[in-house]
Amino acid sequence: MEPAEVEFLAEKELVTIVPNFSLDRIHLIGGDLGPFNPGLPVEVPVWLAINLKQRQKCRLIPPEWMDVGKLEEIRDQERKEDTFTPMPSPYYMELTKLLLNYASDNIPRADEIRTLVKDTWDTRMAKLRLSADSFVRQQEAHAKLDNLTLMEINTAGTFLTQALDHMYKLRTNLQPGDSSQSQDF
Amino acid sequence: HAFFQAWLNEKFAPELLESKPEVIECVVEQLDHMEANLKRAKRGDLKVSVHHMEIERIRYVLSSYLRCRLVKIEKFFPHILEKEKSRAEGEPSILSPEEFAFAKEYMANTETYLKNVALKHMPPNLQKVSLLRSVPKPNLDSFVFLRVLERQENILVEPETDEQREYSISLEEGSQHLIRYRTVAPLVASGAVQLI
Repeated sequence: MEPAEVEFLAEKELVTIVPNFSLDRIHLIGGDLGPFNPGLPVEVPVWLAINLKQRQKCRLIPPEWMDVGKLEEIRDQERKEDTFTPMPSPYYMELTKLLLNYASDNIPRADEIRTLVKDTWDTRMAKLRLSADSFVRQQEAHAKLDNLTLMEINTAGTFLTQALDHMYKLRTNLQPGDSSQSQDF
Repeated sequence: HAFFQAWLNEKFAPELLESKPEVIECVVEQLDHMEANLKRAKRGDLKVSVHHMEIERIRYVLSSYLRCRLVKIEKFFPHILEKEKSRAEGEPSILSPEEFAFAKEYMANTETYLKNVALKHMPPNLQKVSLLRSVPKPNLDSFVFLRVLERQENILVEPETDEQREYSISLEEGSQHLIRYRTVAPLVASGAVQLI
């Protein structure tokens, strides 16, 4: 899955905005939104929030975890533990990128936040690489990856699954099979 | 949304999954309905553009889903047609009627092509080719990532090497795993797990 597609999924997450326009309830296929009243916070999916922000029709309110103190705690815990800490949002990476790209003026200490999230991501990816390496070396058949987010799984995942598939093929071709499927690609 | 689930499952599954006519029809109907409404609405209205954006997003997923299926049909057509032929009465089809027609046509075209381009020029005893044997089968032993939607007990994990023994695990709701597709294929079909 392309990172853009993971971001596409992340865009369905709800975020709070403060509109500067009014509009009564919209009945979308995916659910109802609004009504919108100037100055009153309302929740909308990220794809809409970004669009409204770009058209200067609203102000974005960062999610409660997008705060320097909280993120520092998370980063420190991630560095301390060997296992993966649960993230405040299954789409923390994408939301950070989207909100900081389009609405950094609505987010206090945006640069620090960017750095903290990146540090946490780097630590997690390093752990993931180590796990993947040991998974392959020990030829495990199963792994539990509870606190990993979709973006992390997808970034490392395609390579990992293809590598495992290749190893499987090499291994099964070593054994003389009675019905060997010749044209495996 | 069952539709997004179907899209993700189809994307990550190594084989063609059951066709989901009810889900697809429902989505198409809603899209058509919404578009008809928008045609009648005022231009330049904010509501119109919001609805339009949502329609584009859903359209993208729908096209991606259908294209993903077509790619698999083209890749594995003899096996898919064989599976469809030997399907029991009352068992759900993996192909929609249009996909079935496409698959049959694709097969016929491929056979004609191979015959005209190469086979008819071969010595008489080499003029037959079994597409079922020469086209690769989907690799059901590929590893997939999944998230558990409904708790499952006693899923057998088969050993990778001769030294290992099989063991069983239980899948807690909300947990995520990396495992061979073959083991969990029925769980994907039943909706108990979601591929990610």
